[in-house]
Amino acid sequence: MTLQTLSLKKGRRVEAAAARLLPIATTAVAAILSVLPVPIPGYRGITPAFTLMAVFQWTVYRPDLLPPAALFLIGIGEDLITGAPLGTTALLLLLARTLVLGVRRFFGRRPFLFVWAGFIALSGAAMVFLWALNSLFDWALLEFHGTVFRLALTVALFPMASFLLGRTQRALLPAS
Amino acid sequence: MIRLSPARRTAVQRFAPPLLVLLSVALIVLSKADSALVGALRRGASEFFSPALGLLSRPIEGGANLVRGASDWVEVYRRNEQLLRDNRRLLAWRQAALALAAQNAELRGLLKLVPEHALSYLSARVIADSGGAYAQSLLIDAGSADGVRRGEAVLGEGGLVGRIAGVGRHVARVLLLTDFNSRIPVFVEGKEPLRAILAGDNSSYPVLRFLPAKAPVEKGEQVVTSGIGGLFPPNLPIGVVSGVGGAGPRVAPYARVSETAYVRVVDYGLEHALPALAANGARGARPRSRSGASRER
Repeated sequence: MTLQTLSLKKGRRVEAAAARLLPIATTAVAAILSVLPVPIPGYRGITPAFTLMAVFQWTVYRPDLLPPAALFLIGIGEDLITGAPLGTTALLLLLARTLVLGVRRFFGRRPFLFVWAGFIALSGAAMVFLWALNSLFDWALLEFHGTVFRLALTVALFPMASFLLGRTQRALLPAS
Repeated sequence: MIRLSPARRTAVQRFAPPLLVLLSVALIVLSKADSALVGALRRGASEFFSPALGLLSRPIEGGANLVRGASDWVEVYRRNEQLLRDNRRLLAWRQAALALAAQNAELRGLLKLVPEHALSYLSARVIADSGGAYAQSLLIDAGSADGVRRGEAVLGEGGLVGRIAGVGRHVARVLLLTDFNSRIPVFVEGKEPLRAILAGDNSSYPVLRFLPAKAPVEKGEQVVTSGIGGLFPPNLPIGVVSGVGGAGPRVAPYARVSETAYVRVVDYGLEHALPALAANGARGARPRSRSGASRER
């Protein structure tokens, strides 16, 4: 083996290792995206759950590359910045992962509408869960109707997020 | 990367998720029980991430300015007409204001009124906005190094947006007046000023609480800070009563927080108010018990 092919192989290996970080990196980007100030009236209350989209997508297609420890850290980071009770987002993402892992084999090689329906069910459950958790934390029945709009926006934006994530996955990651 | 033997790896894979779930639950309980520790953690994290957030929020701000600029171009004629009209109207108001200011100064002189604290302002850029419906706060890029202190009032375009709830060296958290935990002592300026507490409930329209029984609050009346408790300066504009009924009269804030990239922090000479509290022992006396301002997460 010549020196050139050796270094080429090494280069490929580094590239592949970097590509394996893609799910963690995109989920972190989604978390950052959800805390950036967007100058749209009323946006704060209905910020789409970008992180949940990334977690759903990667847990369906490449769960091996999105370990629970990463979800925990990203969730904690998001809570620290947004001022939400510490641990709520981490708990939400971990439970979402467990739920999706249980049903992901149904999504394999199905049309996208089927996957979307799965995400709608998951995000509906997630919104109710967040509302219940925050109500419990503040010991009061909190407003729910803002959450309905948030759910609608999250569900509506999922196809685009899924398309973008799927594209990056196909471009950078070899099939598992 | 750490290499684990296959047996260990399966063990980690099996036990990590439930352990992390338990840890998250423990953290939620901790943030309910010990807000000081969690507050310190939040300050640290905000401080750590603030350079990145400051940088990343720039393109969004730029994009928004671009869109605003384009719409300004489209509306330039109509906007000009409106400004000319407003200008004529405001000139009349200016005359009225000057006359009132002169009269006010004269009456103050006659009454030998104690002068109020002079206010000083500090402008800061919004670098992060809490997504989600259950925590309404902002991060701004000024902190204790710039003279920002906890409890200070924060103004946006048009009126009050909230108060400083946590301060790092170069970053501070603003608890918005719409947050569930926000309580602000106010006056409703009707026929006679009524004292009340403006309480957030995570909706865009906070509620007036603790009004006198059968208080005649009407739609369109102005709401301003009362300054009771000494933490906020009095007479900062907040908004107008937008509706009565339901949980109580609701207030539409003047400041549109989501559209402003910059806010102003009001320094009201808090040092005068706080040393007394500090002397009473930091544990017993919290500013909130005095001002009726809120507890913290």
